[in-house]
Amino acid sequence: MSFRKRNIGLSAGFDRNGAVNPSAQPQQAPATPESTPGVRPSPDDGRPTTSTGTPSLDNLLAGHGGLPIGKILLVEENGTTDFAGALLRYYAAEGVVQDQKIHVVGMPEQWGRSLPGLIGPADAVDEKQDKRKGDRMKIAWRYERLGEFGAGIAGSRASVPSGDQSQSATDASVDKRPAFCHAFDLTKRLTHPSITNLNYIPLAPSNEPLLVTIQKRLQAAIASSPPNTVHRIVIPSLLNPTIYPPETSQPDHLLPFLHSLRALMSAPGARITAMITLPLSLFPRSTGLVRWMEILSDGVIELCPFPHSSDALATSGAATSHEEPPQGMLKVHRLPVLHERGGGSDQNIGLDWAFTLSRKRFEIKPFSLPPDEGDKEGQEAAVTGGMPKKADLEF
Amino acid sequence: MPSQPPLPPLLTPYASSLPPSSLTVLSSVLGATGNWLVLRFLYAALTTSSVSDAALGLSETSHGKKRKVVLVSFLRGWDFWRTEAKRLGLDLARLTDKQEFAFVDGLSELFSAPSTASTQAPIHQSSLRGAVPPRTVLPLRSQPGPVPARGPQPAPRPVAAAPNPPASKEIGPVKRLRLSGNGPAALDALEKDIAAVINGVRTPTPGDGQEDPEVLLVLDQPDLLLAATGPSKGIGATEMGDWVMGLQQYAHATVLTVSADSPLIHNASTFAHQPSTPLETEHAAFAIGTAHRAHMVMQLRNLETGAARDVSGVLRVSKGGAWGQNDSTEGDSHWEEKEVLYFVQRDGGVSVFGRGE
Amino acid sequence: MAPTNTSHRQTHNLLLISKLLSLRDTASPLTLVLDSLEQPATPLIKEYIRRAKLSKTHITFIAFETLKPLEGVDAFVSARRKTPLEILKAVGAAYQDVSSSGPSRRRLILIDAINPLLHSKKNDPQFHISTFLSSFLIPSSPTAPKVEVSLVVNFHQDVPNPPAQSPYAPSPLSMLTYLATTIIRLHSFSHILAHKAARDRSLAAPVFGLEEEQDGVLLGRLDKSTGNESADGIVLELEHRRKSGRGVLEWYFLPSASRYPPQYVKEIVTLLDDHPLYRPPQEPDTGAGEEEPESTFELRLTERQRREREGVVLPYFDAQQGDGPGEGGRILYDMGEEDDFDEEEDEI
Repeated sequence: MSFRKRNIGLSAGFDRNGAVNPSAQPQQAPATPESTPGVRPSPDDGRPTTSTGTPSLDNLLAGHGGLPIGKILLVEENGTTDFAGALLRYYAAEGVVQDQKIHVVGMPEQWGRSLPGLIGPADAVDEKQDKRKGDRMKIAWRYERLGEFGAGIAGSRASVPSGDQSQSATDASVDKRPAFCHAFDLTKRLTHPSITNLNYIPLAPSNEPLLVTIQKRLQAAIASSPPNTVHRIVIPSLLNPTIYPPETSQPDHLLPFLHSLRALMSAPGARITAMITLPLSLFPRSTGLVRWMEILSDGVIELCPFPHSSDALATSGAATSHEEPPQGMLKVHRLPVLHERGGGSDQNIGLDWAFTLSRKRFEIKPFSLPPDEGDKEGQEAAVTGGMPKKADLEF
Repeated sequence: MPSQPPLPPLLTPYASSLPPSSLTVLSSVLGATGNWLVLRFLYAALTTSSVSDAALGLSETSHGKKRKVVLVSFLRGWDFWRTEAKRLGLDLARLTDKQEFAFVDGLSELFSAPSTASTQAPIHQSSLRGAVPPRTVLPLRSQPGPVPARGPQPAPRPVAAAPNPPASKEIGPVKRLRLSGNGPAALDALEKDIAAVINGVRTPTPGDGQEDPEVLLVLDQPDLLLAATGPSKGIGATEMGDWVMGLQQYAHATVLTVSADSPLIHNASTFAHQPSTPLETEHAAFAIGTAHRAHMVMQLRNLETGAARDVSGVLRVSKGGAWGQNDSTEGDSHWEEKEVLYFVQRDGGVSVFGRGE
Repeated sequence: MAPTNTSHRQTHNLLLISKLLSLRDTASPLTLVLDSLEQPATPLIKEYIRRAKLSKTHITFIAFETLKPLEGVDAFVSARRKTPLEILKAVGAAYQDVSSSGPSRRRLILIDAINPLLHSKKNDPQFHISTFLSSFLIPSSPTAPKVEVSLVVNFHQDVPNPPAQSPYAPSPLSMLTYLATTIIRLHSFSHILAHKAARDRSLAAPVFGLEEEQDGVLLGRLDKSTGNESADGIVLELEHRRKSGRGVLEWYFLPSASRYPPQYVKEIVTLLDDHPLYRPPQEPDTGAGEEEPESTFELRLTERQRREREGVVLPYFDAQQGDGPGEGGRILYDMGEEDDFDEEEDEI
């Protein structure tokens, strides 16, 4: 299985490979003449996938190393924070960098101007991170898995030569090399020639139901673009009453829209992915409507930010002092392709996930108890902090 | 995990002998979907007493009478079913040509506006269909299909190229449903479309030699229709139930999948103490109502103890509310209620086993 | 329970259920059967049909959710896509041809499930379930020959009720229970046994199926036919309103149809209390209870010894009466002649 293969790659020195890759790839590349930047076959079953712009989220998606084309990812968020919005910006920025067509629903053009600035291919950034990781792995054997997980990109890149590398050979600039996934800086602003290319679909009132209009405009925009274009549909904060009129949350408006979106994406020849975020505080998961939205989506991820202030977090949950403390829990409810087939057999299943949003990256890691560093205070803080959840789960 | 035949022996009695005019309900939840089980039903019905079955001793399937299947899917497209069935060794495109299988697409155009009228090629003209050459395009379209051999394959596999435009024009042997209008009239139109497909499949083909083939109708998540229309469009649980009953009349047996997630069932239950939304009430009424009308209810759910790496979920088979209504037909199907664990492997194979095995 | 009471119940209540199920003397014009997924009404409906067949009663089956006519039904009326008025007409027509020719004076109308009718979206606001049901019972014209009609309506308890049209109107279920002269609630026998076992141990009653509120669970029932052969059968919780206005409440047990031949005329329903699994017979208890374990020691007491032992007042006995601090807690001791009381040392 692909995972085992990756792990072998890991033991052979995964991250160094990743950095060496650019020079090694070109010989293999000519074998795959026709390809699109930002799209590569899944190491699991060869279906085309594209990156979400967040490397650790790519790795979470059931072994495909990215979001498979034609799939909808629903990111739900509890509370009033906007971590999901950050994921969405990475997703959009990645699409911009990959010259994909982005369709933004219900957001003004400022949204596009606030996309995070490009640092470079994600691997290059990983390189620096991994040195730190190497240090950390000495602390306890059980963090080995962390390394494995983070290495997903590098490993799969090494094993599955993606066609995009062919262009990198001719491209002089290493930074603009069309890698699969890029790293972005949230404090900077993205400047890219194709950023003006974003298609904004405003929520303008018309004589039709709003969502029908959106659906039609999406359909028209996709139909009018060249056939091989890869599209990304970005729907921030769906149903949010400050953006959407109240009737959109009626099932007979919303569910046909999502169903049509599904139909649009599964149309033969279409190369579309979509990411939708949903505020759970307004539309809790325990309602039938949200459950139907989840059923209509291919992947469902729930973000549960920790409610404390950042001071309290400083000592809780962090594995080591120099690592970012987790800012919340991440729950995976459904994964694209995997659950459609029946579920199970994913190495990431059954783990507790935590996420950390820093200036440069949104990282998803297995959530684990802090190691016993003999630090009584830290331990106590941990118990009062994020730990009870873990304890509740186990007993 | 030992690999099991496409239809695990533990499932054989449930999937292979459906009594006439019976309804089998297959309930699933978000994290434990039932598509694999639907595929097993297709497999059990479409493969007859072939050599491989006889060798495995699956005497139940070897009635000698071949079944035909009409699959109506509201959430998944033709591509999904075709690729997944191929993993079981079931070539749905070929079976469609042989008039043994028909797919009704409830996804692509169900809610699309009538203005974008598509050119729907009339199907079920058996004489014409054999001569239509575009069939040859189908093998080409199988490109996202999995490579059968699993395991490490460092060799560069063909990159999934952009689907070739000619293939995208050809929608395949598919009837597309479209919902238009309100209330029962809209459902009636759908019923007519599906019935036409069923009758088209049932029409005996000259070389077949079968008089009246048994048609198995599989309705994949018709609850979407209910959820996406709702009482404001004049469609409720009763209308949906009537609709299903109408379709049942055309088929020999019917398999229906429905979502049984807690929010959709229990929010509106008589034991809940909170007001429920119309969506929840109607869905619960429909799901529970169909379970009352079912001969057998197969319930899929997640493992109570959380996700596990070698278990995908739990399958519980129970007698539905209509079990035992007709003694004469019940006689030849002997199965007992059971609860088993299942595991869907990456290659599409499924192993089914008891707890602790 | 006192033996006299039991025998009274046995005679009277068994007679009652027999009368009700066999539709004698129109004891109950409207019977409401409340079933659930845990115990569907199919066995009871079939029992009604079997008995009606034996007594040559004309059976009309109004099918809201049944596709195929059940065996033994004289007239099968599919209610699919029919308005209440059309159903009424069809039911009336079904009996028209019979009444002119046949001598059958009794008629049984079964409704397999009333829920779809209550949920129906196309019902006009003028529709009332009470008038609908009563129109079956009232003869269409005064000149028509008098027919004893019994109506048996099944209601799925677990199907959620649609929102009421008027917030002040009673819910359909309360309406039906109010109208019905007999209400039969169905329970699965194995669940009743599980409830009883839990009650005997003072545990919380177990829940099954939908009541578990578990994700993905619609049905909890699993037949354990292998180990517990006689546990198949259903339990009827009967609530009957007599003509005098008195109510009767009784629990019955209906064995599964495979346990007796279809032509069997004797009463097969028993009181639940008489079922050996529900209330194990007393004989083994009393019989074996006397037999103490045999051993080489004499563990038994004679009658006199036992009397004396019971008469002993234990020390600190009066502490329990709580006369206030310092008052209770004395050692109670009656001096016997063999006691040598020393005034200086001993103190009582």
